[in-house]
Amino acid sequence: MTINTLAKGGWYREQMTCFRKMEKVIVAMQDPDMGMKMRNQRLLITVIPHAMTGRDVIDWLIQKYNICEEEALHVGGMLVRYGYIYPLKEPRSLVLRADETPYRFQTPYFWTSTRWPASELDYAIYLAKKNIRKQGELMEYEKERYSLLHKRINHTWDFVVMQAREQLRASKQRRKADRIVLECQEQAYWLINRPPPGAHNVLDMGLEKPNNFSLRVTLNSDYYKREIESCRRALGRNRVKSSICLEGFVKFSEQYQNHDPIMQGCLPSNPWISDDTAHWTMNSEIVPVPTRLRVERWSFSFMELLNDPIGRREFMTYLEKEFSAENLCFWQACEDIRHGESSKIIQKVEDVYKNFLAPGAARWVNIDSKTMDKTLEGIKHPHRFVMDDAQLHIYFLMKKDSYPRYLKSDLYKNMLAKAIVPQETKKSVFPFMRRQRHSSPSPAQAVTQVTEEDGRAMGAGKAGTNSAAGSHV
Amino acid sequence: MPLVNNKVGDDCTVGTDKALADGKALVDSLIKVVACYRHLASCVGSCTDSLQLRDELRQTREKAQNLAVSICQHLTSHLRDKSLPEEQRKEMELLWVAFSSGLELLHVDMCKVFSMGDIFSLANSASLVQTGLQGGGSEVAARALSLPDLNQARAPEAGLESQERSTMEQEISQIDHMIDDMEMKVNVLRWMVEPHGPQYADPLSSTDSASLALLSVDEEQPGHQPQSQHSHMVVFVVLFAVVLVATTLSVCVVFFS
Repeated sequence: MTINTLAKGGWYREQMTCFRKMEKVIVAMQDPDMGMKMRNQRLLITVIPHAMTGRDVIDWLIQKYNICEEEALHVGGMLVRYGYIYPLKEPRSLVLRADETPYRFQTPYFWTSTRWPASELDYAIYLAKKNIRKQGELMEYEKERYSLLHKRINHTWDFVVMQAREQLRASKQRRKADRIVLECQEQAYWLINRPPPGAHNVLDMGLEKPNNFSLRVTLNSDYYKREIESCRRALGRNRVKSSICLEGFVKFSEQYQNHDPIMQGCLPSNPWISDDTAHWTMNSEIVPVPTRLRVERWSFSFMELLNDPIGRREFMTYLEKEFSAENLCFWQACEDIRHGESSKIIQKVEDVYKNFLAPGAARWVNIDSKTMDKTLEGIKHPHRFVMDDAQLHIYFLMKKDSYPRYLKSDLYKNMLAKAIVPQETKKSVFPFMRRQRHSSPSPAQAVTQVTEEDGRAMGAGKAGTNSAAGSHV
Repeated sequence: MPLVNNKVGDDCTVGTDKALADGKALVDSLIKVVACYRHLASCVGSCTDSLQLRDELRQTREKAQNLAVSICQHLTSHLRDKSLPEEQRKEMELLWVAFSSGLELLHVDMCKVFSMGDIFSLANSASLVQTGLQGGGSEVAARALSLPDLNQARAPEAGLESQERSTMEQEISQIDHMIDDMEMKVNVLRWMVEPHGPQYADPLSSTDSASLALLSVDEEQPGHQPQSQHSHMVVFVVLFAVVLVATTLSVCVVFFS
């Protein structure tokens, strides 16, 4: 249905700024004293007033706006291209010629407008009118569009035809000269709004289409304040030099090179190739004896140690010996709050407070006073991240203090010594042997198998036909 | 008893047939009025714009509005009637679709006239665009209002422009509401509606059709031309007959002189 352009709550379409400016130029041209000089157009017997030559237009533009001829030609050309002035001799050629070619002003009803774009119903009525007026007057592309519209708005086609007839009957009430002018106006309007194929469509803004015509930014103090604020925030963002980034990346790669299964290969064998799942079983979450590479990784960073279940267990054992196990327990409890169920958060926060933070608690953790106050404030309105500051504090405490001592401790060194290094499975001497120790061959080998079998079968077939052919001959 | 039943059945269909005919007549006149309104609206802002034109626009608009309101009531009441037989319902839906399209066109035209009234106020007649039109639209308005001649007894009063504008604003919003209400109350599936008429309509029964032919337009090939071939043949036949008559006469003259 229609878009209610005057509805208060609706979307109010604005006229594009360039159109508004062109309208002002056209209105300025109408001035009886300073405006355009009008001539009469002679057509056999009828005389139609208000015609002007291209030369007149350019001269007027030069004189009014004090510009050079080239610019006047450009501006005048825009007026013609956007349909405010239409040519009388060659209607399809929308250019401004600086000579005696006649032009005329377009009526304001048919001015190009983004507020009321030409609708399909209107176009259908126009084409129907053109067809009724003179059979066979429609061009090829107009006939195509007519059939397309007939399909698209089929339900209202009776209305289209009737309205076309009525509009023709209404225009018959006017005198001949006016009828010619009205037809020219309408033709010019539709040449702009539904251009023939191949002609440039001025209403198509292309990829840089402005998405909000009515966005007019007023350059006042508020606007500049907002700009300053956003620039300040942008300056305050954390930035790292790219050289430092790259150094960190190189260090990480060097450290993890030996641990990467793709770069170094994995022991005992790559399960994807050999179908032997020993690698996965040996590196699963809880094993009696971890692999050596795994234990080495614990020394890379504290997070590696904590993320590994066996590592965490070992670290806990160590802390218990040092009588500072409550730190790790507190940290684990905070992780549970952060990643756990929403419904249990309040209960968990209560428990944590009772066990770790309350004065005289069983496993009291040592947090500095500022963080303690902030956390206690937050506990009154518990949410998922209320323990974050305290957890971070304890984390850094462990990292700076307990973790280096653990790495130097006997517990860790024994772990390292006990860790197994799996043996690489012996590769068979004949690499292309199809018999594997375990069941299904790998897909790559399956393909070669099939082609080999096919080859043999085809060879046998060919031999068969050859012999058959030979026998027939 | 069967006779009585038939009689009752006939009355029912006669009733809705009459309603259908009424609706059709109303929609036809609305289409006519909308076409005339559009014709008059295309003159707003041009050199033929005057108080008279604005007055004619107002009268045409009022007529269109009255027609719209009565059609709306008529069609809504009939389409909400569940006992309507199937073909009648189809016809009503056709009328409904035509009515809503006409209302769309009227709405756009009213909005355009309203905003152009903003830009081109009649007080400053120097800024009206010189479009080449010379005559007024009185005959068109007369056609719209179905009057043989627009009686000029009611002279248009100046100075009522502001009042006119506020009335117009109200009426545009009234049409808005009507359109919304229509969609809410009656559910017409537009893709199910099938029109009666053909794709290409027959030309009007007037000989004076090709006005654009006067201009020296160099257009491309406009498709096949069966009509012109037909007229060419007629001309040839007539010429041939004339030549034949002339030769017979001259032979007679020679023979008898």
